[in-house]
Amino acid sequence: MTTAARTTRTSRPGTWRPAGTRAASGPSGRPGGGRGNLGRAGFALYLTGGTLAALVFLLPLAWAVLRSFMASSLVTQAPSASDFSHLTTANYSGLIQTNDILHYAGNSLAVAVGTGLLTAVIATMAGYGFARFRFRGSGVVFALVLVTMMIPFQALLTPLFLEMHSLGLTNNLAGLALFYTTFNLPFGVFVMRNTFLQIPWELSEAAAVDGASAARTLLSVLRPLILPGIATTVLYAFLFSWTEFVGALTFITSDNLYTLPLALLNMEYGSVGQVNFGYLEAGAVIAMVPCVLLYIGLQRFYIRGLVSGVVKG
Amino acid sequence: MVLVAPAVAMVAIFVLFPLGFAVYISLTDWPLIGPYHFTGGQNYSLLTRDPQFIHSVLFTLLYTAIVTGPIFVIGYAMAMLVRAGRFGSVFFRTAFFLPFIVGLATESFMALLELQPDSGAADFVLSKLGLAHANTAWTVSYGLALTAICVFVIWFAAGLTMMLMMAGMQGIPAELYEAAEVDGATWWQKERRITLPLLRRNIALALIISVIGSFLAFNQFYILTEGGPGTSTQPVVMWIYEEAFVQYHLGYATAGAVALVVVIGIISAAQFYLLRDGRDQEARR
Repeated sequence: MTTAARTTRTSRPGTWRPAGTRAASGPSGRPGGGRGNLGRAGFALYLTGGTLAALVFLLPLAWAVLRSFMASSLVTQAPSASDFSHLTTANYSGLIQTNDILHYAGNSLAVAVGTGLLTAVIATMAGYGFARFRFRGSGVVFALVLVTMMIPFQALLTPLFLEMHSLGLTNNLAGLALFYTTFNLPFGVFVMRNTFLQIPWELSEAAAVDGASAARTLLSVLRPLILPGIATTVLYAFLFSWTEFVGALTFITSDNLYTLPLALLNMEYGSVGQVNFGYLEAGAVIAMVPCVLLYIGLQRFYIRGLVSGVVKG
Repeated sequence: MVLVAPAVAMVAIFVLFPLGFAVYISLTDWPLIGPYHFTGGQNYSLLTRDPQFIHSVLFTLLYTAIVTGPIFVIGYAMAMLVRAGRFGSVFFRTAFFLPFIVGLATESFMALLELQPDSGAADFVLSKLGLAHANTAWTVSYGLALTAICVFVIWFAAGLTMMLMMAGMQGIPAELYEAAEVDGATWWQKERRITLPLLRRNIALALIISVIGSFLAFNQFYILTEGGPGTSTQPVVMWIYEEAFVQYHLGYATAGAVALVVVIGIISAAQFYLLRDGRDQEARR
């Protein structure tokens, strides 16, 4: 892991090239972008295998999108070719009108954006502090923050519920965001500390000589250099918060505060009689879209985080 | 000092305090409402005789044992496919990783529909292939539900292993492979003699991350089977959740949770040891 981290660091951020290999790509060491070291037949095999495997991963998601545009009555029947000629947005309009899905999406968005911003601010401050200042016990404190990564929040639901309840933080979207922020902090602090450690000391010293305060140095001199680290931190915190389920299930019980996964669960178990699968599918697609767009758009920041070596399963 | 204070405060309030509080609660008969009494280690000794808790532990272990191997092998194979940066490999990598990004909760709701008898895509495809009846109800029987969820989770998690392995593979200097090629090494020899030994640490980390994820399984079981039929597909985290927030046995549930923290803590400690070990080697070079 660290080997990879080191090599990526020395190359341009976001490019996937180990430094030291000539001009390019993988272990084969031939210039990338083409067939690599494969012969024509091998390359054809690679493309066929890769495409088939990609279909295995993409088709179920694409199928769900397609299903969400089928009328509810068709969704509960065996799929047939004629389904494709009756596509409709009825599930989405029904979901918006009768299930108020946009309200729940708004709740999810508020919590995810809040978690992302709060994590970024707190992790940037702490990362800067740990990277640039040595104070008594700073090593121990940093270790303490990292060690919390070993503690699964799923196992702390009971004490957290009692504590947050007595602080008025249950049934409270801000409380949920605080909880998510905390469990994203170890990763964020680690990423931001590494980001600051890669910046040459001289840069902030020069700023100090010119009379800039620590805050001013951080905000104007170092900002362009730390933005990739911040993007990584925000992306992870946002996606964690957007997709989290068991914590929200425990800490949010009043239905107007439900996040998207809870609203979907309510459609599954809370409804009287038959589950409206068309609506459920459309709701799941609404929950899926931001993840896909964010990942595809910000892939290089996501991979930076993976390479840092501290990832939660 | 001031800069790190907010992070330290958050960790203290939402991780360290609850951790200590959990140990305290686990030594009581804490109900949701009303007074509580100290019961010492009684909850823990009850746990060792509670068939439902033991079943959830064994079920979690079984589930982990089933999915870990396939997740690793498929993830490793996909990493081999995309590591060389050939034409199309960024697209393949993105496709393989997308299920992990979308998240298990969202995908469980999609899977719920596709695992329904008669209308689900699983029955549609498998009955066309002659592998299952068109009216197989996947989520209401123990064996079928476990099978379906394991396949689903392997599909979900293999991309993460791929990413972790790919990062390791791309850090191996190309010169090693070139030297081996000069010596006439075959593809398989290069993989076995160069890649695998150099990736030992990455492999251990990928396996640890995967095992921790399986030990903490909840979403897919809660959404697809609700632990059923009965409590047969109830993993440990769901046992804790149900015992605490459905049965209101907070003290007892927390004793199970403390046991889980200890197990995960030991596994994660191995992860940190491996990471540190790697850093030391780095420094010596």
